[in-house]
Amino acid sequence: MRSRRREKEVRSLASWGCRVPGGDGFGLNRREVLAGSIGASALVALPDLGLGGLSGARPGKSGQGASRYVFLYGTPRSASSASLVVTRFPVSRAASPPVTVPVAINLAAAPVLSPDQAVTALATVDMVPDGAKITLTLLDGTSAAVARQGSVTVPDVPHDAHVLVTPVFAPDSAIVSLVLAITVPAARRLARKADPGTGSLATQWATTWVSHHALAYFDQRSGAITGPFHLSDEPSLALTSAAANGSDLLMWTTREPQAGDPAEIRAQASLSRLTVFPLGSGTARLSVPAPPPWPSGEPLVTLPTGDVARLVRGRDVQVCSARTGEVTELGIPAFGQARAKPSAVTMQARSDGTVFMTKPGAGVAVVADPAEEFRITTHVQFPLPASPLGAPWSKAVLSPAGDTCYVLGPAATGGICAYDVGSCKMVGSHSEGRQYAGLYQLPSGVLLAVRPENPRLAFFSSGLSPLGTADTNLDVSAVF
Amino acid sequence: MTGYDTAGSIQNTYASANHEFGMEPSFWIRYFAPSPAADLFNDDAVAESQGAWDSGGHYVGCISAPRQSRLSGSAAEGHADAQAFAAAMLAAYHAVGPLQLPSGGRLYCWLDQEYSTSLSSNYWNAWANYIANYDFAGLGIYPLYPCLYCNPYAPYPNCSTIAKARGVTAPSAIWSSEPEPCGNPPGPSRWDPQECTTVPTKLWQYGEQDACNYSSNVDLDMGGPGFTAAHYCFYVKSRP
Repeated sequence: MRSRRREKEVRSLASWGCRVPGGDGFGLNRREVLAGSIGASALVALPDLGLGGLSGARPGKSGQGASRYVFLYGTPRSASSASLVVTRFPVSRAASPPVTVPVAINLAAAPVLSPDQAVTALATVDMVPDGAKITLTLLDGTSAAVARQGSVTVPDVPHDAHVLVTPVFAPDSAIVSLVLAITVPAARRLARKADPGTGSLATQWATTWVSHHALAYFDQRSGAITGPFHLSDEPSLALTSAAANGSDLLMWTTREPQAGDPAEIRAQASLSRLTVFPLGSGTARLSVPAPPPWPSGEPLVTLPTGDVARLVRGRDVQVCSARTGEVTELGIPAFGQARAKPSAVTMQARSDGTVFMTKPGAGVAVVADPAEEFRITTHVQFPLPASPLGAPWSKAVLSPAGDTCYVLGPAATGGICAYDVGSCKMVGSHSEGRQYAGLYQLPSGVLLAVRPENPRLAFFSSGLSPLGTADTNLDVSAVF
Repeated sequence: MTGYDTAGSIQNTYASANHEFGMEPSFWIRYFAPSPAADLFNDDAVAESQGAWDSGGHYVGCISAPRQSRLSGSAAEGHADAQAFAAAMLAAYHAVGPLQLPSGGRLYCWLDQEYSTSLSSNYWNAWANYIANYDFAGLGIYPLYPCLYCNPYAPYPNCSTIAKARGVTAPSAIWSSEPEPCGNPPGPSRWDPQECTTVPTKLWQYGEQDACNYSSNVDLDMGGPGFTAAHYCFYVKSRP
């Protein structure tokens, strides 16, 4: 089912009075979003434009990306939730400062970028009289307008339920899977609990919750949604991990431990379950126990073979066969050194079939080849940045050509640094004493660094020349 | 009364730490799910508890470090992360017979908010509410208390977010990561961690491995005046 009314409203940003300078009106209608979502997040779009006059800007791929928007996700200072906004890219130091424009607020979960970076998926949840209305919006990267939108209502979901929506793109498929975690109150009882401040006992209502999952599938060609298909996996933890290839959705779930579990069930508690669904189906074709750890937001990549790689514990890769569910665990030696503190970790697929992985808490970025058991082909070592675990998790990026690795500067100096991938030596750096928390490379080749205080956005050429800065009221958690 | 926190397993960490600092820790603080970039206590709770016993530090506190962008997110995300955290603690409790709840009935459950992470009210309120109202092991008691690890003076929302929390969603304590005077146990002679205005700092990470050039994979922590951190941790009563 598809909501044309909502699409119309989403396109009506011009009536809100917000417009990207020189761009088309776009974005989610503020009233619509405020009325409809239970989440706490917001999104801002950032046009990666005007590169023709940029000295030092080097497009990432020929003919691609010169006009693609970038979406900033984070928490507005004045809100209890995160947002998405838009700004114009600074064409030079002399140009006017970029202007940011909100796109969406109160998102149900973080956006997801499609593998080809053409669209960004937003999920919202509206509690309606007959259940929970799930809306998936695909924002076009070249215009920041709504490319597709569809809704489905999950009936009989109580108004106080928590619904998590995870969109999952499949390379080489128009189907976007929606993994829904539906958590509802199961019981309510009066409980006596010591006040943490005074120690005195107080009586309060305590709710017991129970979760299960459902699947739905969104067809990007027609805008139609199939489902929801409820899975009989209650009691389950709401957290899942999921990835898709051209034919299947692979989904990791965990049974929620129960007080009365017998010993043989307790002995299996560290395991999760890997279930494989044909795209479009609610019936599994495969379901097997999966080794620890539980799914919890670890990086996932769909490999050219259709198998899926999980980067777990910040140091090991589990390659999961989409055909059999068999898991092969491989250590990443460069990530193996234990530390007191966890580090952010990332893993991204590259067009040549390799993956780029970073672990800033160890000062390491590598390129590995999944076709050769994740043999490391490139290993760049750099000093630790100031906040190697905090958001955003992207603190090192690889140029599209694969020849330069950009990283946040050392904790002592801040700024950003560039390393030649061939020699693994630092070939450039720029610091004005500012500590950045996250680093991204836009499709144009321009670097975007984010920091906690305005100007929160700083732009650099691929040669690390400063191009300009921009203010936003958003504490940026991620860039899409 | 210095304790160690580590993202590694206790059994692979304690020997070098005890050797470097010439002491046995008063307590450990270990990572539980969801902490996607750490070794998890709940993945092998028996070996971890054996390590705790062998280390001489028989108390294990609990922290969860979700993917940090989630902390800016929705109530559904906070609720899901808390559900996994509580389940991980219960799984460890089930797996290790001698692992006991604190005798005082209060197990502090720390959410890891890093310096550059912003904490939304929707996420925190849902996370804290779930933790506080969790009927642990069906015992009819509610021993879990939400607490926040953070850098109180970071420019990102942390103290301002929890200042708006009410009732059971108000954290019981702050564990401050700053300042880092470093040094060895027993730690600074003067209690001087960063503070939020509305919630007391009770635990201070006064020495962090990378900043202080410790060779062993631990950070050093101490409790504040009148606060014995071990009393708010799991207790390993005997070697499993």
